[in-house]
Amino acid sequence: MSTHLHQHSSFKQYFLNLFHAIYTTVKGMYITFSYVWGVKVVSIEYPEVREVLPARARMRLFNDAENCISCTQCAMACPVDCIYIASEKMPEGAEIKKTTSGSPIRLLLTQFTIDTALCCYCGLCTTVCPTECLTHSHDYEFAQYTIDAMKYDYLAPDVRAWRDRIVKA
Amino acid sequence: MQSRWDIGEPEKPTINEETEQLKSELLTLNMGPQHPATHGVLRIEIKTDSEIVAHAIPHLGYLHRCMEKHCENLDYRGVIPFFDRLDYLASMSQEHTYVMAVEKMLGTEVPRRAELIRIIVLEFQRIASHLMAFGTYALDLGAFSPFLYAFQDREEILRFFEELSGARLLYNYIWVGGVWNDLTDDQVEKMKSFLDRFEENTKTYHELVSMNQIFIQRTANVGVMSLQDCFDYGATGPVLRGAGYKWDLRKQAPYSLYSEFDFDVQVGVGEIGQVGDCWNRFIVRMREVGESIKILRQAFDKLEPGSIMGKVPKIIKLPKGEIYMKTECPRGELGVHLVSEDGGKTPYRLKVKSPCFTHTSMLPRVAPGQMIADFVATVGSIDIVLGEVDR
Repeated sequence: MSTHLHQHSSFKQYFLNLFHAIYTTVKGMYITFSYVWGVKVVSIEYPEVREVLPARARMRLFNDAENCISCTQCAMACPVDCIYIASEKMPEGAEIKKTTSGSPIRLLLTQFTIDTALCCYCGLCTTVCPTECLTHSHDYEFAQYTIDAMKYDYLAPDVRAWRDRIVKA
Repeated sequence: MQSRWDIGEPEKPTINEETEQLKSELLTLNMGPQHPATHGVLRIEIKTDSEIVAHAIPHLGYLHRCMEKHCENLDYRGVIPFFDRLDYLASMSQEHTYVMAVEKMLGTEVPRRAELIRIIVLEFQRIASHLMAFGTYALDLGAFSPFLYAFQDREEILRFFEELSGARLLYNYIWVGGVWNDLTDDQVEKMKSFLDRFEENTKTYHELVSMNQIFIQRTANVGVMSLQDCFDYGATGPVLRGAGYKWDLRKQAPYSLYSEFDFDVQVGVGEIGQVGDCWNRFIVRMREVGESIKILRQAFDKLEPGSIMGKVPKIIKLPKGEIYMKTECPRGELGVHLVSEDGGKTPYRLKVKSPCFTHTSMLPRVAPGQMIADFVATVGSIDIVLGEVDR
């Protein structure tokens, strides 16, 4: 590059600097201008066009309550303590169901709530889950008006219904 | 009505007396915490004498999250997401430093493939971070389009990270003993083709910004941090290398597998401006991107199939002791001082030494005598991230 910064300014130097400024600016403008034609648009027009997320993308958590064995490992692994689990002994004589992976469900899950507003999406809870019922789904549009609405009770019927539209198995 | 001028001739004051009567004081100007040029929530109290900065006092703490104390109540795996949030533009480097400290205490052997994948993500992170520095620095100085070019390439890198770890910024990818997910051949091919494209793009960036005469006039000989200042304050990373000192932990105290790689340490040589000024700091970053490309190409060649996770107990308990681990992050040396109790599941104390904090403390040193516009250029050139300064 022929551009240099000159400490001692003289009459000649002044015009030389001016020339370099214009020359390099024109060069930069040329680079910018070359993007006007022939370069395809890189941005996505979001609400109309949606990006396909990678398979591992970590979005809203979802717990498949049918498969949960109330082991509370996820709650222990959570660094921000946003998972609330409560369970009690199975009532006498109730048949012991099994999860899809074959482990018996010995405890009755009475509460499984995740405060999504607290969640830091680190994914540590999903890695410790023995039955793989707690997963990150691909839902990312879940803004709410109140912070309380971010608490999801995964035993509630409306939240359970998410299961049908979960992308990731 | 009689005006006061009618009462005789007023005595003409001498120039000295007149200047004594005029009161002059420094004007206090608050730059930030919502100023776009302060890169986050840094408030700098500037005392100005007309347009010349007389003092600049950085006020920290707007992003303080009590992270060090919080880590004392977390198990060793749970700390990693908190390290992501220190320097949110270079999360991989941050978590790597912490993980290395824990691994050294545990005595864990990390498989070779895991180390290579780590180096790949670390160098990609360095490129992404330097691209951000390049884009926002040009933005500070009034050029908008370099920012968009930088983000276009950074976006692709973030896409790789999302495919690899599942998150774009806060990865939790580097785990104690290895890495979370394996790198597929498909992804390697994509990364390789990206590097070829990106190498061409860096040449454009040099033409667009680095060698632009207006950019040179704004940055050369501005905000000079002399080598002695850098030593006095403990500056590291591109700030120290911009001042002409060859110091890179990847070369001087190799960790991970860096000793196997062939790359140069870029220092500012002052071909434009003088050593230690904004332009030299900037160009060190831009040239480091090229070195990262070199390292990445070698890492792809070295990659061979194997395990990605070493043997780590299910619940990590460290022996009593302490360790200080430092690595070369994009912004400088990040140090982690970890003190553990005997058989404790949580750290007893975790101290983070952040490079950005050191560099922020250099601002009062370089600011006096600068124009305000030059001060903005200086703040931009040290490339601070406030998440790391305040912790």
